[in-house]
Amino acid sequence: MTGGKSDVFWINHLLRRAGFGVTPRELKRYVALGYDGTVNELLNPENVDNMQLEESIKQQDFDYTAINDLKRWWIYRMAFTRCPLEEKMTLFWHGHFATSDRKVNNAYAMYGQNMLFRKHALGNFHEILYNASKDPAMILWLDNQQNRKGKPNENYAREIMELFTLGIGNYSEQDIKEAARAFTGWQTLPSGFFFNQRQHDYGAKTVLGVSGNLNGDDVVAILVKQKETSKFLATKLIKYFAFDDPDPAMVSRIADVYMTSKYNMRKVVRAILTDPAFLSERAFHAKIKSPAELVIGSLKTLQIRKLDGDLPMTMARMGQDLLMPPNVKGWDGGTAWIATDTMMERFNFANRVTTTKFSEMSKFSSAQEIVDNQGLTSAGKLVDYFLDLLVDADVPASTRAKLVSYVSSDLSGKPVSNIPDEKTLDAKLRGLVHLIMTLPTYQLA
Amino acid sequence: MSISRRTFLQGLGLMSVYLSAPEALLLSAKAAEYAPRTAGKSKILVLVQMSGGNDGLNTVVPYNNGAYYQLRPTLAIEPDKVLPLDREIGLNPNMIGLHELFKNGKVAVVQGVGYPNPSRSHFRSIEIWQTAQPDKIVETGWLGRYLDCADCTKNGNIFAAVNVEPTLPKTLQSNKIMVPSVSNVFDFKFRTDPRYLQDRETQVRAFEDIYGTFQSKRPNAELLRNAGLEANKASDYLQKIVREYQSEIKYPDGSFGNGLKFISQMISGGVDSRIFTVNLDGFDTHTNQANGQNKLLKQFSEGVAAFYKDLERNNLQDDVVLFGFSEFGRRVVENNGRGTDHGTAAPVYVIGSKVKGGVYGEHPSMTALDDGDLKYKMDFRCVYATLLDRWMGADSREILGQRYEYIPFV
Repeated sequence: MTGGKSDVFWINHLLRRAGFGVTPRELKRYVALGYDGTVNELLNPENVDNMQLEESIKQQDFDYTAINDLKRWWIYRMAFTRCPLEEKMTLFWHGHFATSDRKVNNAYAMYGQNMLFRKHALGNFHEILYNASKDPAMILWLDNQQNRKGKPNENYAREIMELFTLGIGNYSEQDIKEAARAFTGWQTLPSGFFFNQRQHDYGAKTVLGVSGNLNGDDVVAILVKQKETSKFLATKLIKYFAFDDPDPAMVSRIADVYMTSKYNMRKVVRAILTDPAFLSERAFHAKIKSPAELVIGSLKTLQIRKLDGDLPMTMARMGQDLLMPPNVKGWDGGTAWIATDTMMERFNFANRVTTTKFSEMSKFSSAQEIVDNQGLTSAGKLVDYFLDLLVDADVPASTRAKLVSYVSSDLSGKPVSNIPDEKTLDAKLRGLVHLIMTLPTYQLA
Repeated sequence: MSISRRTFLQGLGLMSVYLSAPEALLLSAKAAEYAPRTAGKSKILVLVQMSGGNDGLNTVVPYNNGAYYQLRPTLAIEPDKVLPLDREIGLNPNMIGLHELFKNGKVAVVQGVGYPNPSRSHFRSIEIWQTAQPDKIVETGWLGRYLDCADCTKNGNIFAAVNVEPTLPKTLQSNKIMVPSVSNVFDFKFRTDPRYLQDRETQVRAFEDIYGTFQSKRPNAELLRNAGLEANKASDYLQKIVREYQSEIKYPDGSFGNGLKFISQMISGGVDSRIFTVNLDGFDTHTNQANGQNKLLKQFSEGVAAFYKDLERNNLQDDVVLFGFSEFGRRVVENNGRGTDHGTAAPVYVIGSKVKGGVYGEHPSMTALDDGDLKYKMDFRCVYATLLDRWMGADSREILGQRYEYIPFV
């Protein structure tokens, strides 16, 4: 492939972006499919047998009316699905149509919305926007329940233009006022969407230059076909999958696919994942892992199968509280993931993994066995093995040297030529993995 | 001259090539000395961001204005309920603590604060307030630029400012330094395996060694390296402060009250910061406004009152000014859901023992509206300029790009 790097290298890269990392076993399967074969499989989740996930979810007995269960359910899906891109796009739509249970206060409605995003994960944007606009959680979240004839509530009209389609600066305050009238009477009942005709304003309206007796469907149709929408979505998706600073040429390429495919997200995402820029040095380790990517990825790489109940809280402290995004703009992502305390949280998650979860690495149960099974006969080999596994060996030589000297010392820090006993080996192995997981490059996707 | 974050950091990175590891470590901040604050050491600014767009009209109520009662048939607050500031305006009845402070001359209310061509987008408008730049998008915040000018990082002080929220507001985005964010001090500690306590020191030293010299061409590696180094340096020190500086003053429950309490602990414990930021979120009251806003204003008022009392207890009240603001006020006429939509100008609050209390500026007309919204009377940058020059002793022209008129509240 590109830059002299192997297929394995780019498939790892692909799965960090289009999924949540891979287990060694999954990686083997994807490598057999090759890069293009893997992209095809990821883009067509309906062709993948995911029954094992659905069966094991049934056994977990999640309560879909309790928000904490719902968070755990979603994390479980991210960790064990065979359709990782489907979950990754579900997370994208959740961040795009960012709805928080803090206000909706109805976990089952949040579940419904989440299932909607999953169903349309790689679907048509017109349909996605149309369904999101009628989604009960969304109607509660952006106050459309109170948007009535004669007394419009502008919240939904503003955000659908500013955050869901056009982006700021591409509409007028008048467009918002008129669009709000078009969405009057779009309400929710316990049974679902309800069009309240008596509260709908049937008068003439003009939105983005289109006049008529417009309703919400019309506004959705007007918005999806705007050039600004194509650029807005293309930019956001490139940032989500490839890098934080997309160039105008690439945005145009991807936006064109959106327009010519009539808003087909499968084609748009395919275009990004197969773009030469995605498979370039510029994209490699160019993004900061989101908390979801960091947490799920760590579990997968280290083959930890038992998920702790407080993972949602851990991710929240890292800055990503699933189903409770900070506001309707969703998570900013990129460098916004990083602050001193979210960084500390990442370090301490690494520590928790290596102290309490590490023994679950499936193939071995003791440090000695890991070392023996992998034929790690020296400190250098041990360090290289884990640097390769965890950070694609993307560290400066000075870091490798310091890790080697950490491993080649006893518990008091004195250099030794042989690890004195199994207890020391266990401490050093756990400490080594902890240290690698705190590296700057481990935070990169 | 300002240097970009990237070139600055690259400069640091390149330097470390020529240094051996122990020397390179000196580049990072020195462990802070632990000593309680002595009164009068410096002037401190505490920023309270009231996120979501606080409805100014139901916070500082024009209770003598007929139009207010006409346009707010269900939301208007009765004249006999408000806590009067003067003959025209009074505080929301839930702000008893703040009203007490006002009566003691410690609160300045500046009316009708805003900026030209107001944005009704939460995200753009808060960015305008945070960067003090309504005309274009810039990467640094107004207090970040203050930090750049003030050179607060000399002598290895990593606490030029502290944000007590999970994410750093753009207000503190600086070219030269990364301001630490510490939302939960109890989790803010570098942990290692409790079974191998003996190995802890070796491991922490390896971490610091690696971070001290880590070089990579990946675009975010330097940012991560700095965040990691600072996190580690700050944690021991802050743990100690919080242990030593307990307070008997009762703060309101929730992250806002906890944040103010933590700030007070840091100030009295001697953390050498001149700026602290905290957030109170939830003011986006499109529906059933009264219930939500009243609770938030109560939290605001009780939190501020407790914070002031706490400072007084340590005789530090003269050192601190607190400034409360929101990204915009709300539409004058209420909507159909007993709420209000996004609006424009609103009052801001400046609180402190050294503040000249009172009502400043003119209330915007309730009838001569701009497309249903209040017309601003005072540019928010006048407030910033006053705080920067007359409180912080800075040069606001360097930070805001031009001179702005002062408001005599300090």
